[in-house]
Amino acid sequence: MAETVRAAFEVYRFDRAKDAAPRYDRFELDLAPHTPVLTALLKIRGEVDPTLTLRYSCRSAICGSCAMQVNSKSRLACQTPIGPELARHGRIVVEPMRNQPVLRDLVVDQAPFWQQYDRIQPHLILDSRHPMPEGKENPMTPEQVDRFKETPRCIACAACYSACPAVEADATFPGPMALAKLYRFVVDPRDTAHQDRLLAIQPGGLWTCLRCHLCTEACPKDVRPSERIRDLKEMAVRVQGATELGSRHAVGFKENLRDRGQLNEMKLVRQTAGLTGMVGEIGQGIRIFRKKPEILHRPRKIEGMDEVEKIYAALDDGKEAPP
Amino acid sequence: MRRHEVVVVGAGLAGQRAALAAVDAGRDVAIVTKLHPLRSHSGAAQGGINAALGAEDSVDTHIYDTVKGSDYLGDQDAIEFFCREAGPTVIEMEHFGTIFSRGPDGALARRAFGGAGFPRTIYAADRTGLALLQGLWERLGTSRFTLYEEWDLTDLVVRDGRVHGVVAFDRKSGEFDEIAAKSVVLATGPFGRIYGRTTNAHSCTGDGVAVAYRAGAVLKDMEFVQFHPTALLETGILITEGARGEGGILKNASGERFMSRYAPRVLELASRDVVSRAIYTEVKEGRGFQGPYGGYVHLELMHLGKEKVESRLQEIVDFSRNFAGIDPVTQPIPVFPGQHYMMGGIGTDIRGATNVRGLFAAGEAACVSIHGANRLGGNSLLETLVFGKQAGLAAAAYAETAAAPEMRATDLDTSTAPLRAWSSRTDGEDPTALRTEMQEVMDRYVGIYRDEPTLLEGLKRLRAVKAKFARIRVVDQSKVYNVNLSDALETGHMLELAETIVVGAYARTESRGAHARTDYPKRDDARWMRHTLAQRTPDGPSLSYAPVAYTRWDPKERVY
Repeated sequence: MAETVRAAFEVYRFDRAKDAAPRYDRFELDLAPHTPVLTALLKIRGEVDPTLTLRYSCRSAICGSCAMQVNSKSRLACQTPIGPELARHGRIVVEPMRNQPVLRDLVVDQAPFWQQYDRIQPHLILDSRHPMPEGKENPMTPEQVDRFKETPRCIACAACYSACPAVEADATFPGPMALAKLYRFVVDPRDTAHQDRLLAIQPGGLWTCLRCHLCTEACPKDVRPSERIRDLKEMAVRVQGATELGSRHAVGFKENLRDRGQLNEMKLVRQTAGLTGMVGEIGQGIRIFRKKPEILHRPRKIEGMDEVEKIYAALDDGKEAPP
Repeated sequence: MRRHEVVVVGAGLAGQRAALAAVDAGRDVAIVTKLHPLRSHSGAAQGGINAALGAEDSVDTHIYDTVKGSDYLGDQDAIEFFCREAGPTVIEMEHFGTIFSRGPDGALARRAFGGAGFPRTIYAADRTGLALLQGLWERLGTSRFTLYEEWDLTDLVVRDGRVHGVVAFDRKSGEFDEIAAKSVVLATGPFGRIYGRTTNAHSCTGDGVAVAYRAGAVLKDMEFVQFHPTALLETGILITEGARGEGGILKNASGERFMSRYAPRVLELASRDVVSRAIYTEVKEGRGFQGPYGGYVHLELMHLGKEKVESRLQEIVDFSRNFAGIDPVTQPIPVFPGQHYMMGGIGTDIRGATNVRGLFAAGEAACVSIHGANRLGGNSLLETLVFGKQAGLAAAAYAETAAAPEMRATDLDTSTAPLRAWSSRTDGEDPTALRTEMQEVMDRYVGIYRDEPTLLEGLKRLRAVKAKFARIRVVDQSKVYNVNLSDALETGHMLELAETIVVGAYARTESRGAHARTDYPKRDDARWMRHTLAQRTPDGPSLSYAPVAYTRWDPKERVY
């Protein structure tokens, strides 16, 4: 057998039927460093404590069952070897995913996650005026397939949902997986509701994303949800203009920088919230003014404005534009 | 008690397709599944789905390849039907929303697969199962049905030769319930976890097959177990045949491309039984590599170039990197055969009907039989959809005219009595340990090559495990998500099925497809061109035999 190391696990234990509060159980095992956390947990279940409860199935990162927190990161247990975790943290703390209520030990109730998935209408929306070709596939070039980016790889493990601070702050936010799935339909040449989908997701949907990219970091399949959310935002603005608080802020931000190379914060507040909205921000405005009186002055163009202009010219050329 | 017209157990591709067909036929449908549908094992299928859509290809060639691949044990009428449905089935899945890989002209891309005369395997990179599962679930999501998600099937209620419903429990609450149904479709997938070294998911425990067997359904051709040639060495994780279809080659420890000695014409793209035996023989005869996890050979993709490997075999690259610490762009992948597919299952006709009225089956849980003694790559995804739909249609038609099911007040009690006994013991055998024991027996005694003494020894040991199982104890007393109880239930199911494999293999004194007897190395069409049928008795499986349906293709020696 391969060389082994002593691995200490601290595992979250909780049974909603009988426990008032969770506890952590400690288990120590000798394991090869490349052993996945899932294999270790199953060994604990088989040899030490058969009541240790977790979801798992394929053990090859394709079924999406075993997402959990490993040393505070959302990971697939089957795809996380113990060696690097031990090297970094000295032990392996295993906890259930966040943003979903715990049923027992490492098993969470995924209903909130699936509700958000259902909300984006996760199916092709067809239009009788554009029937499918009879007895044939819809043509789709490799380039059109490429526009899906990595979204078809999603295994719905919810690691991104667990990692998302916007979900934590606002349970009505669809979360990264649902939005990446939405993107998949918005770029699908067979779908006939691209615009409606973008319009429907804007209020209280798209712009809650904080752009922290924790979802992209957590995703075990490299779906990169935050990048797809960014693409959706750009497409939404293109379809509808800047009509939402979030989109107005984004567009105002972009115009400010194009104009001066730096932010005109007064202007940005007006662009984002509107004149009436500014009234609500007066208290905050006064507090900022006390610390930073120059906020009332219109900022000058920064030095090196020509560089900024080059960046915007490249953007306008569409070189960086999303699909 | 709950009540529906059609209950489908299992929510992989076969179950979902059956449910969709039954819903579309206007029935009240429920799906009972122990996994969320998107977590089904169908999603693990990598390589592709066969359909003779290429201009140079033909349905007849697909039929011939499948008949030959089956080593003439597949029913030719069923295979003809199956191959004719292939094109429309794939097109339908494309219309449902499946994202397939495409050629430069925008048409569905195709790759070469083992045992096929033409490149006819349509794919979605190397995650075709996942792509189909997503597409079908998205389509099914627009229909009305009831989903019992994370429910374990414990029993099938059959009286007077007719099905009346199922008994199951909700993992989340631990509550048992009866679900009355006029017809039931079992689509619970494989039972590869009978083996230790398997590509199958942990959940592949044959629940529906075992429950049907107990209720009197006939199991067919159980001895035919497919070993996939290229499973990752330590973990048994599948490395798709698509890797060889894209040009991957196999080498032994002296760097020899040994397939030239076993299948000089098609080399690595011979059918799976042939390639698996070749790898096994290389290692056994000392020409393989040796390491801490046993003997192996190399699967090389390096010569294909980074771009091709990373774009068409993306999951394989990830699997190899994450699970074996190997980068297939620059390094060979260590592989050895592992249990992969069960050709056998609940015996059905072309419409999914079993010998029990109102009971239907489809997918890997069923045996129609189209795969015969050896399944071709790319035919199993197709089977789930083609026969899932047939079973759903037939179950809907049956439910339309059948009398209401009669559940009795005692059904729930009778069905759950053993489980309650397991949980009330204060001392007894550990079901998880028994599962491991069973797996070791099957790996060692019922593997790629078989002979009489090893099979007899295997049977003896297996029956010893089964005897111990009568005294198991479930330690976990919680009602909430009691995986300990689910584990025990599954182990009991697998023990029933393992016995039918060994008994069938012992009785079949010939070598055909995946069933290779060293003491009977030749195929014996005069005696054995027939299906094995197993029915349960208190003393173990009772075997009988049924003829193979054949139409146009006379048995020939199978050479690749």
